[in-house]
Amino acid sequence: MESKKRLGRVVQNLLLVIYTIFALFPLLWMLILTIKPDAQMYTTTFVFSPTLDNYKAVIFQSDYLKYMLDSLIVAGGAVIVSVVAGVPAAYALARYNFKKKEDIAFQILSFKFAPEILVVLPLFMLFQKLGIYDSYFGLIWVYQLICMPLLIWVVRGYFEDISVEIEHAAQVDGYTWYQIFFKMLVPLIKPGLVSAALLAFIFAWNSFTFPLILAGTNVQPITVAITKFLGTDSAHYGQLAVAATVSALPAIIFALCIQKHLVRGLSFGAVKG
Amino acid sequence: MSRIQLENVTKKFGKVTALDGISLDIRDKEFFVLFGPAGAGKTTILNCIAGIQIPEEGVVKFDGEVMNLTDAAHRDTAMVFENYALYPQMTVYDNMASPLRSPLYKKDEAYIKEKIQEVAEMMKMDYLLQRLPSQLSNGQKQRVAMGRALVRSPRVYLMDEPLAHLDAKLRNSMRTELKEIQANFGTTSVYVTHDFMEAMSLGDRIAIVNEGKIVQIGTGDEIYYMPCNEFVSQLMGDPEINLIAGTLKKEGDSYSFIMDAGEKVYHLPTDYELFEKLDDLGCEKVDIGMRPQNLNYSFEAHEGYLKCTVYSYESIGNKSVIVAELNGLQLRMIAPNGLTVKIDQDIYVDMELNYAMFFDAESKEYLTRYNEAAVLALTEQEG
Repeated sequence: MESKKRLGRVVQNLLLVIYTIFALFPLLWMLILTIKPDAQMYTTTFVFSPTLDNYKAVIFQSDYLKYMLDSLIVAGGAVIVSVVAGVPAAYALARYNFKKKEDIAFQILSFKFAPEILVVLPLFMLFQKLGIYDSYFGLIWVYQLICMPLLIWVVRGYFEDISVEIEHAAQVDGYTWYQIFFKMLVPLIKPGLVSAALLAFIFAWNSFTFPLILAGTNVQPITVAITKFLGTDSAHYGQLAVAATVSALPAIIFALCIQKHLVRGLSFGAVKG
Repeated sequence: MSRIQLENVTKKFGKVTALDGISLDIRDKEFFVLFGPAGAGKTTILNCIAGIQIPEEGVVKFDGEVMNLTDAAHRDTAMVFENYALYPQMTVYDNMASPLRSPLYKKDEAYIKEKIQEVAEMMKMDYLLQRLPSQLSNGQKQRVAMGRALVRSPRVYLMDEPLAHLDAKLRNSMRTELKEIQANFGTTSVYVTHDFMEAMSLGDRIAIVNEGKIVQIGTGDEIYYMPCNEFVSQLMGDPEINLIAGTLKKEGDSYSFIMDAGEKVYHLPTDYELFEKLDDLGCEKVDIGMRPQNLNYSFEAHEGYLKCTVYSYESIGNKSVIVAELNGLQLRMIAPNGLTVKIDQDIYVDMELNYAMFFDAESKEYLTRYNEAAVLALTEQEG
């Protein structure tokens, strides 16, 4: 019995280790590529002479930082717009009863179902006509398709968890609606808001199809710009790896900073179950 | 400190009518109890007074001033919610301080601290002040919810079953405490409960609410001794009143009552006032209401006693309730603890008919009762 249990544990851990290698090895390989010289790029042994040339080439000798900034503006702007417009929308969907409420909620969610490639061509033509092709505004707008549904649905769930009596109690206590919203409700939805905003940011940051078709010269988010390191005649895999590694950093840093908010559990216990 | 009036208030939720033409006149400094079964609309009445819900019809007045267009914040009420509605992200202290920190009712922090300490001590929860609501039991949460209301001196306290989740001992002491607080502050209070003991002991006056309508308003004694219909008589009193269906028959000067179950004939004790009233009403089919304490029992056969069988015998603390059964009619009566009673054994029941109330068997409305004049005199003395 005892040995059986132990065997189970060993198998369990073994499987986890295999999975970890499976998941992390590509990342490790990418990190190794960043410090390999071009000549040794295709060797599969771990013996090579490390170099920082790739970093120098990408960060100082190209427009890499400008691309990063573009990504930051577009993804950050998209998240801010999503929060400003999405939180009130989520509140309305959670609190008020109006005709076709569930249909509207589902419609918003369905924006996420459509494959981007399906809508991007008509959007391209619309953007040309509207004159917002290849602009920050255009990308921030189209990114709402990615960010807004996620944010609305997560935050709506949080609003629904807050009993309406809490708002009533605050009214009776003498607070106006805006004070109630910012003082009582925002702290309660914060975990959901922060994690949804973070996910939305990552999705927007990673988006490739939209910026590829709807932007390209003035505005070049990092995902599109990375392809430049694939030349027509030669592929600089080392530089490509650096570009990819560095572009993953902001999302990782954000995630680490707000890790504690990703854990839910504030609004429980206050209201009789 | 206000007189609260509701005039013909109707509140609908979609197709459901929650309140149907409610009119109330709650006097200044009164402790007014709303009493009724679950889903009767008691909480909706409170919400309409607080301004949380706006009635479709009718007016809500504070001191004669129409408040329908005043929002909840500006009505200056303090409310205890049935589900506590504590702010989960704030400590107990901050929860209680919340009304005193709002822009409308702002007080300085020193005053807040003193006031919270005072209320917390009164509610026996000063050791809880630094906790979060999630760290409290339901009874403790309820006390915090009460505390949050009591730190203020509003025009009216609105309390929605504030004692329902406390343990029995605390409930009793809080009941006394509440009554005292209200007497000291002299603040008008509207109190919702479905506990008959609470309604009787706290209320200066009680309004019985059922299905969105006010059924009866009166002092506790008035409603207990002269319930306006069978429904009210069943609500007031524990164990529940016995309603015995039968037929009235006039025989010369006197009346007799023939029970439907068992067809036993009772000669009603002579009370000319009562008989005159019965003459006027001319009802034949009636239900007689007998409080359990007015039924006597014996385990041996007696002249004039009704033979029944024991249906159940259960202790309710300092006394017990025997339920006797006769042809489907159940009679509840009070007995001492510790009797050896077997289920289905014979029991003989006698009714003290000179305490009987009479209800119309069809409309279920109150007709008359023995000693009506004396009861009226008693209630008038109170009122």
